[in-house]
Amino acid sequence: MAYSESAWLIPLFPLAAFLLLTAWGRAFRSGAPIVGAAGSLGSFVLSILVMAEGVDYRDRVDWIKIDGLSLSLGYEVTHLTSLMLVVVSLVSLLVCVYSAGYMKNDERITVFYGYVSLFVFSMLGLVLSDNMLMLYLFWELVGVCSFLLVGFWYHKPEAKAAAKKAFIVTRIGDAGLLLAVLLLFWYMPNHALDFAGIQNVFHGQSGAVDAGITTLIALLVFMGAVGKSGQFPLHVWLPDAMEGPTPISALIHAATMVAAGVFLIARTFVLFEASPAAMDTVAYVGAFTALFAATIALAQHDIKRILAYSTISQLGYMMLALGVGSMTGAIFHLMTHAFFKALLFLAAGSIIHAVHKQDIRELGGLGGRMRVTAVLFGVGALALSGIPPFSGFWSKDAILTAALDRNPVLFVAGLLGALLTALYMARLYFRVFAGKPSAAAESAREAPKAMLVPMLVLAVLAAGAGFADTPWNEWLSRWLLGDESASHAGGSPTVMIVSAAVSLLGLYIGWLAYVKKTVRPSSLKETMPGVSKLLERGYKIDDLFAAVIVKPYRLLGTGARLFDRYVVDGLVRATAGATAGLGRMTASLQNGQVQTYGIAAVLGLVVIIVVMAGRRFWS
Amino acid sequence: MFDIEFNGEFAAFFVFAVLMIAGAVLMVSFTKVVHMVLSMAAVFLGVAGMFVLLEAEFLAFVQVLIYAGAVSILMIFGIMMTHHGDATSETIKPLKETLAAVGAIALFGLLFYAIRDAEFEGMDGGAPTQNADNTQAIGELLFHNYVLPFELVSVLLTVAFIGAIALAKKEA
Amino acid sequence: MLASYLTMAAILFCIGLYGALVKRNAVIVLLSIELMLNAVNLNLVAFSKYGALPSLNGQIFALFTIAVAAAEAAVGVAVLIALFRARGTIKTDEFDELRR
Repeated sequence: MAYSESAWLIPLFPLAAFLLLTAWGRAFRSGAPIVGAAGSLGSFVLSILVMAEGVDYRDRVDWIKIDGLSLSLGYEVTHLTSLMLVVVSLVSLLVCVYSAGYMKNDERITVFYGYVSLFVFSMLGLVLSDNMLMLYLFWELVGVCSFLLVGFWYHKPEAKAAAKKAFIVTRIGDAGLLLAVLLLFWYMPNHALDFAGIQNVFHGQSGAVDAGITTLIALLVFMGAVGKSGQFPLHVWLPDAMEGPTPISALIHAATMVAAGVFLIARTFVLFEASPAAMDTVAYVGAFTALFAATIALAQHDIKRILAYSTISQLGYMMLALGVGSMTGAIFHLMTHAFFKALLFLAAGSIIHAVHKQDIRELGGLGGRMRVTAVLFGVGALALSGIPPFSGFWSKDAILTAALDRNPVLFVAGLLGALLTALYMARLYFRVFAGKPSAAAESAREAPKAMLVPMLVLAVLAAGAGFADTPWNEWLSRWLLGDESASHAGGSPTVMIVSAAVSLLGLYIGWLAYVKKTVRPSSLKETMPGVSKLLERGYKIDDLFAAVIVKPYRLLGTGARLFDRYVVDGLVRATAGATAGLGRMTASLQNGQVQTYGIAAVLGLVVIIVVMAGRRFWS
Repeated sequence: MFDIEFNGEFAAFFVFAVLMIAGAVLMVSFTKVVHMVLSMAAVFLGVAGMFVLLEAEFLAFVQVLIYAGAVSILMIFGIMMTHHGDATSETIKPLKETLAAVGAIALFGLLFYAIRDAEFEGMDGGAPTQNADNTQAIGELLFHNYVLPFELVSVLLTVAFIGAIALAKKEA
Repeated sequence: MLASYLTMAAILFCIGLYGALVKRNAVIVLLSIELMLNAVNLNLVAFSKYGALPSLNGQIFALFTIAVAAAEAAVGVAVLIALFRARGTIKTDEFDELRR
């Protein structure tokens, strides 16, 4: 019981690191990584202890108490939250160590670690929150940290634009989440917002809240998740967010922040269980996004953008899992994805750090000079493609099995996505590491130890974490759900074989295309130039948004500005002008000429006489 | 209010009134300065006539002497000595003239209203003097009752003409 | 009959007031002031005959007024001559030293 009681300390280690780094300022360059990593290490150790203890615990403190209304801040330790705590703190610890090497020559490294620590604090706080309001608070804070970190190199205009885009697009989703919180506040008895209370009210469709309202709340919560987890149509910020430093892409946009959407739905899963319409929406949006993003990833040339679209696609898988009712499958995939995607990003960072290039058309044959990176990247790629026995295979298998149970269409979509995933990963791997050494390969050299060790740790996890939940030993599912009811007893070997076969097929096609060059992708491009252009531009969704949303808003803004300048300002200036004119007019009375004064005197005399004598008639 | 009998007195009054009003109006509407002075002289003569009608013969005489004689000549002297030669251009300032006209007319309206409203009962006009000789009566009053103001006025006149000379003389 | 005389005096007074306020030649302004004083004299003398108590007081008053008016006219013209010598003009709207 002791460790769970002190679980509230877990977010405070990185917060202390943030405060320390901010206070010490830029001079503290050499010590910054140590402070940052120490914060994450403290959280990680305590998270492991809490998870090992495995006890549910809750505590809270009252924050605002007004008549009949009470808002509280509290933390809640459940199996789900403790697992997330471990994943988040582990990945942040590894990223902190990695960044010591990657960001070594950056002069704002202290600021970097400060922002990273703030982010870790927000994410851990989000995970530990025991009520929706506190979660929303940390949700927003996480968004702010993402903005700060994506725009870290703010001298680059693309980075500034990407940071703004990330914040604004997620904000749209956040509006939905806020509405959901408000609706919950309105409809829950006693205006309670804590998850335990939500569980009680909505469990088993007891009918305490109207079905329509439940669906609405669930859909609004999903909207928040769509924004943060980059589902269609709010996915446009993720690829652009790759302007930030690569460790950030690994931490935030692969492992933790984007997973917050999935975590949110898992936390409020009872709402979705009570509303089949919302569940279906989640499933279909997830499946669509998985396919949609995978097709775009096939046509991208920047390593990080391929990985970004891959992240969007994998998050689609997690949403699909949630939508077919497998909360455990989604969380399992979240965990494995955190490991192998972070590994992939860190490996990509090692490449970028060595050759300072990101376009795969300029890279090639790096495998010779960067063996360790190539092997580790390969492990991550295999895990992502779902090749047994790596972790991605087991988690994807859980999702596909659950999908097959619910809806064969979704199963087929998932399989197709797996094929495309393997294909684009093969393309990426072979283009970068295999083939003739390119000009960039000459200057390539292996990454420093600070960067390699975290990658190694992640590779081990990417390889082995899958065994936490195999169909024969569903330890994770049981542990998360807290009871002995297994979601799928035994599991069907058919699904496993089919998914493995599909992934291998994808890898084979990739090998043919990019190593043996039997199938020529450039010929494909020539035959269907329109399609490849479309895919390259991400189906032109950005352009669509620009035309439909951004331009009208700009016009509105211009209109408002003109209104302000000519109407509002004009009114003010007219008043000022009128007053000045009046002043000028009356000043002309003082022209120094006696006759003017005489006229004034006579007129005044007449007025006085009229007033005085006329009083007889008016009273 | 205006209960008037049409007799000789009224006819004379009417003639002198026309003279005065015509003179005054012409004064403000002439362009050349000398014409203005001449019409003023006509006004002064009309006033003198009115004085005669009001049995103030001495005053009428003094009026003609002083006003129509001395003051008019004084004004002409003033005009001549401050003459530009080409200063006959009178730019029109409609606002000022309108306002002044409005003020004057309003004042006249008020005065007329007051006169109309007043009750002049039993003021049918008696003779101001028992003595038929106006000049002698004035003389007696002046040197018996009003001798002090008389002396003061003479001092005033002395001071005035000394002052006028002092002001107007050329700097040597 | 009194009302007629009073009205007559009022007319003269107002015309003189208008002239004093409008005319640009300062000498004419002085002349208009003389007109106003004449109107006052007419008033006084009218009351001396037609007043509540007919007496010569009105005429004596008018006499004094004439004397003072003459003195004032003299001094006024002298001032104007001095002003003309100093400024070169006697147009009233050019004397605006006290402008704001």
